[in-house]
Amino acid sequence: MARLWAVIKREYLERVRTKWFLISTLFAPFLLGLLTIVPIWLMSKTAAQSDIAHIAILDASGTGVGRRVRLALGGGSLAGDTSRTQLVVLDTTQLAAAESAFTHVVMKKETRGYLVLGPHVLDDTVARYAGRNGASLADVGRIQSAVRQGILQARLERAGLDAERVVSLTAAKQVELNAEQIGDKGREGGGIVKFLFSFSIAFLLYMSIVLYGQNVLRGVLEEKQTRVAEVVVSSVSTDTLLAGKVLGVGAVGITQQILWVITSIAVIHAREPIMRAMHVPSPSFSLPSISAGVLALLFVFFVLGFMLYAAIFASVGAMVNSDTEAQQAQQPFMMLLVATAILIQPVLVNPSSSLARAASIVPFSSPVIMPLRLSVSSVPWWEVGLAIGIGAVTIALFIWIASRIYRTGLLMYGKRPTLREVARWVRRSA
Amino acid sequence: MSDPAIEIRGVAKRFASHVAVKDLSLVVPRGTVYGLLGPNGAGKTTTIRMILDIIEPDTGTISVLGSAHRDRGIQDRVGYLPEERGLYKKMQVNRVLRFLGELKGLRGREADARIGEWMERLGLRTAEKDWGTAKVDELSRGMQQKVQFIAALLHDPELVILDEPFSGLDPVNAQALKDTVVELKRRGKTVIFSTHVMDNAERLCDAVCIIAGGEKVLDGPVSAVKAAHGERSIALALDGAASPAVQSILDDRALVAEVDDQNLFYELELAPGADPAALLRRLVEAGAPIRRFERVQPSLHSIFLERVGAAGVEMGMSGHG
Repeated sequence: MARLWAVIKREYLERVRTKWFLISTLFAPFLLGLLTIVPIWLMSKTAAQSDIAHIAILDASGTGVGRRVRLALGGGSLAGDTSRTQLVVLDTTQLAAAESAFTHVVMKKETRGYLVLGPHVLDDTVARYAGRNGASLADVGRIQSAVRQGILQARLERAGLDAERVVSLTAAKQVELNAEQIGDKGREGGGIVKFLFSFSIAFLLYMSIVLYGQNVLRGVLEEKQTRVAEVVVSSVSTDTLLAGKVLGVGAVGITQQILWVITSIAVIHAREPIMRAMHVPSPSFSLPSISAGVLALLFVFFVLGFMLYAAIFASVGAMVNSDTEAQQAQQPFMMLLVATAILIQPVLVNPSSSLARAASIVPFSSPVIMPLRLSVSSVPWWEVGLAIGIGAVTIALFIWIASRIYRTGLLMYGKRPTLREVARWVRRSA
Repeated sequence: MSDPAIEIRGVAKRFASHVAVKDLSLVVPRGTVYGLLGPNGAGKTTTIRMILDIIEPDTGTISVLGSAHRDRGIQDRVGYLPEERGLYKKMQVNRVLRFLGELKGLRGREADARIGEWMERLGLRTAEKDWGTAKVDELSRGMQQKVQFIAALLHDPELVILDEPFSGLDPVNAQALKDTVVELKRRGKTVIFSTHVMDNAERLCDAVCIIAGGEKVLDGPVSAVKAAHGERSIALALDGAASPAVQSILDDRALVAEVDDQNLFYELELAPGADPAALLRRLVEAGAPIRRFERVQPSLHSIFLERVGAAGVEMGMSGHG
């Protein structure tokens, strides 16, 4: 056992110490942060660039509505910044001259535009805006809502409400609207988010199995190519070496996934403070909840999938002598994995079809497809049990075969063995 | 301690396409330096791998240090330097050595202490530079061989098996290796090494076994092996080249069975029944400028050539070592 532990330790530490591990571990939370924070930040960034408060208000209404509009443009509250908005209170007769004067001001880019509030603005609710961003629907829309708010406040005050109460009651707050989908089977939660979430789980499982399976192959091939295998197997049995390698690499994969989960949760929690710090409103965002039971099953299926493909890739590594040979020899098994990846989408759309049910039980695809089904719909417990049972039996078989191929192939250099030779290795391993 | 270091009885091993070892038996006494000699492909490496339980013999038994070679823990008392050298390239030297030590049952802290000792002794750790923290592939070939050598000896094994240890060594490292072998023997360890270079074996071995084509040709203490091949050898040195008259004497198969021109002297093997005094007389009569005429024991080299012959060497040109 001490020997097995030494092998596991080496396989684990040598991989975790690499830059590659650090980069790929940071990559997932980085991507998540990028996808959830940057688009919103960019949106607010472009909004800040077209500063709608940097305009002149020509108020000829004689009701003080211009002051209220300025307040609304500055953020809505009494504490808002109104210094950028120029307010000109004037008489109706001065309006035409002021307009042509401000047109020149805008042309000289001293201000972005001017808003004209006519004498009857409170009653006919018609105002005019002219400016460099006059064609921007977004900007005009936001100026429009500021004007609407100002008019509303002025009307309320005219109706006898206290000025401060008016401001506090009408202070602009964005309304949150959380949409949920109802399908044939009832409520389905946040449709698109859940869909993406399940897809990510399946894809990450697929990626991890491919990555770490290949890692086992490269590890075996390296020991073979550098001839270090001979020294190692003079101290431990090939079975111990193989077991240590598979367990060590698998532990790296599990470590990485745990780090992914922890950092992703941290990113989602850190999202709101970050956005507040950037003065960006953060729309609420929550991952679909996932039960501890399903989480445990995800773990079980990762282990099943990894072990199966690790055994296969270890055999391939022991059979070949070079990277190019390895590329060729692993192709049929990579096809199995790629076929599984192709199944992800149809299963996601229809998780209870007979295709989905079959693919979630066949041992080569079940490690990806069953967790996918579990995350989008409920699966009968006996199907889950059957998939695990068949997976475990298949793994036992493949590990037995792999240990025999490995035993002979590890010290076999020279030409690549034919399939018949490999079959003989399995029958009588020496 | 009365058990031999190694006892092999009737061991055979076939691979798919050829027989590597057939019915091999040999005994290596403890505390000796033992040479496993043979041409390339004679079955030396296969034999060594079977001793180390890397591959299983088809038939026969092997005992190592008094126990069956498959017994638990027995391989921890054996150190091995394989013919094909190799280490984990991207790993730190100290970590590789600690790992290989742990595989032999060494504890981490003790392994570290011994690694430090060895690294200093072989000049891999000096005041200016500690190669222990470098990656293996940053080391020169010679340094990597030293590291591999440390790996074989780190756990202070009772039995050390070196497969073609001299191949690829420069003269300085070859001398250091010879010194270490002598030192190991002085400390009561058993050293087995395989080689096809007879000079190394002649200088170092107490006993040898010559194998060819997977079969034992002969074995025993070097002195006994030489004695068994009789003092039929004569070292003859001449001043200048041999005249035609001298050459015709050397070509006389009634007197001289074989001539091996060693450049500085000839190693002659007398024909059966020939009298060395008669040969000397003939040479003097022919006016040969003799500088040396000495009855000597045959060299392992000549015994090897005589017993294995060109055919054995030819056979060894293909297949495993």
